Amino acid sequence: MSELRAILAETTERVLANAPDWARVEEAGLAKVLVPEEEGGFGGSWEDAFIVIRACGYHAVDLPLPQAILATRPSDLYPPMLLAAQMAGALQAALDLSVQYTRERKQFGKPLASFQAIQQQLAVFAEEAAAANMAAAAAFRAADLVEENGGDAEFEIACAKLRANQAARISTGIAHQVHGAMGFTAEYRLQHLTKRLWTWGSEHGNERHWADWIGARVAARGTSNFWPDLSSG
Amino acid sequence: MSTFEFAPYDLPPEAKALRGEVRAFLGEALEDKPSVERARSWSGGSREFSRKLGARGWIGMTWPKRYGGHERSYAERYVVIEELLVAGAPVGNHWVADRQSGPLLLRFGTEEQRRTLLPGIAAGELCFCIGMSEPGSGSDLASVRTRARRVEGGWKVSGQKIWTSNAQHADWMIALVRTGDAEQRHASLTQLLVDMKSAGVAVKPIANLTGESHFNEVFLDDVFVPDAMLIGAEGDGWSQVGAELAYERSGPERYLSSMRVFLEFLRIVGDTPTEAERLLIGHVTARMWTLRQMSLAIAGKLAAGENPAVAAAVVKDLGTSLEQDIPRDVQALAPAKTDEVFDRTLIYLLQTSPSFSLRGGTREILRGIIARELGLR
Ligand SMILES: Cc1cc2nc3c(=O)[nH]c(=O)nc-3n(C[C@H](O)[C@H](O)[C@H](O)COP(=O)(O)OP(=O)(O)OC[C@H]3O[C@@H](n4cnc5c(N)ncnc54)[C@H](O)[C@@H]3O)c2cc1C
Repeated sequence: MSELRAILAETTERVLANAPDWARVEEAGLAKVLVPEEEGGFGGSWEDAFIVIRACGYHAVDLPLPQAILATRPSDLYPPMLLAAQMAGALQAALDLSVQYTRERKQFGKPLASFQAIQQQLAVFAEEAAAANMAAAAAFRAADLVEENGGDAEFEIACAKLRANQAARISTGIAHQVHGAMGFTAEYRLQHLTKRLWTWGSEHGNERHWADWIGARVAARGTSNFWPDLSSG
Repeated sequence: MSTFEFAPYDLPPEAKALRGEVRAFLGEALEDKPSVERARSWSGGSREFSRKLGARGWIGMTWPKRYGGHERSYAERYVVIEELLVAGAPVGNHWVADRQSGPLLLRFGTEEQRRTLLPGIAAGELCFCIGMSEPGSGSDLASVRTRARRVEGGWKVSGQKIWTSNAQHADWMIALVRTGDAEQRHASLTQLLVDMKSAGVAVKPIANLTGESHFNEVFLDDVFVPDAMLIGAEGDGWSQVGAELAYERSGPERYLSSMRVFLEFLRIVGDTPTEAERLLIGHVTARMWTLRQMSLAIAGKLAAGENPAVAAAVVKDLGTSLEQDIPRDVQALAPAKTDEVFDRTLIYLLQTSPSFSLRGGTREILRGIIARELGLR
């Protein structure tokens, strides 16, 4: 990670981790991550914006920061991409919470984490979180490449949102299962993450929407283009 | 902030340029190869084809020139490997040597071993096999019982290996053997290079459920292995095997094995797919695209000199799950009218896909590795 990006990540954490308010977000300039330096912004790329938007998902932030970032570079294409990043963040947060909880909670005289049935489920969760994160990160990278080379990142964004939806479907169930009844309470933090994931799974395209879109496009391109298209990036 | 760092990796221009060249070569070399044979992927092999690739400089690509390598980048190797797999090229004869035995010798082997063996691998002349599993030692690999006992000038090795892919064609086996007290478990394991032509080596093919014989039993009866064939240090076998398995798990071969039947499905469905067909194509494509990004990210880490062993386990488990879902889901949704090429490819992959999550470390073992990284064990 470049030095500047590391600073951005640090600032983002500092501002968003504990009860963030809009004044502090503004003061830190997080909404201006994409705005050029000469116009008073951070002068960052979409990959930089990914860090901020993903963190909004991770910390279940209730402020319209992703929307504010998008407003500096309006596009009809990018809302699902932003949501994919937030979902990747929320999945990682739910994973971290699940790991922490199962290491602390004891049954049958030992931590839940020591049971292989729990370990194997959380390994699947970690894989899904990693996949959703990769897909979102690669879509943001594709958005940067569009600014350099032209074209659009439609296919990458479709894949990223669909992959995030798939990951959420698999992982939210695991998160709740390993938490037992505690995860089903209003008070415990997990619900803030999983309820967002369930909402986001329908917003800006559910699995049917994007799978159909990708499937129609792939079929129209024909068998002989499938691999050349997939490996063109 | 993420458990596993997978950063987007852009292939450098020289790697992109190579892709067209490889594609053109394979288009010609494999012109008449039927789909079901392409579906064998790296299980199928021919020494003649390996020689052709060697002549092109596409084996041992990243190795130093003084050992017959070509000092190309990891990214270039990545592109070649992808294209070989997608085309269903018969790479089985050199696959193991190029992927893991060669890199293992580069890292831990003696200068003499590198000088005598690596050029032959890079030329596509040498076939290697992996002597890890035994009848009593599968997932619990550290329990291997094949013994090497010290004699004048080397060792005498006795025991039995099993499931050894390509042993019937191999020139060399890298065997994991016990050189000390079994009580020590990990500390008494050692890797030896066994010349498959040595007296006392007997290979007995095992037919798999498709009727083909790719793997074998290998009986070792007082086989003499000279001192010069010790890899690394006596007693270091366990950590060396760990490094070797990381090479084995990190490549694109862990999500492309069912590509052939997916392409057949696209062909059968044509440009007027039903909604159900479109949904399957979309779901598979998104998973495959994501896995490719992850696999590229690992190539990026390798290029940066890192050892992404746990990330490789993540990709392998996700990848083999996709490879197993594809034939099942394609079968579930295939239209009533297909054709023989489609049917044969599908049945072949349905039959072979159970092995995808066994070879190279089972699904459960990989998930155990991931769970350890998460701090659960
Ligand atoms: C096609 C193919 C090619 C192969 N080629 C080679 C080769 O070239 N060289 C070589 O050395 N080996 C080779 N193998 C062997 C392969 O490495 C082993 O099959 C694998 O390590 C599993 O060992 P096993 O088959 O004895 O299964 P077992 O270890 O007996 O496992 C059976 C089942 O139990 C599960 N299990 C085992 N231990 C645990 C545990 N602690 N917790 C939870 N579940 C557990 C496993 O995950 C698996 O699902 C090959 C295998 C196949 C299928």
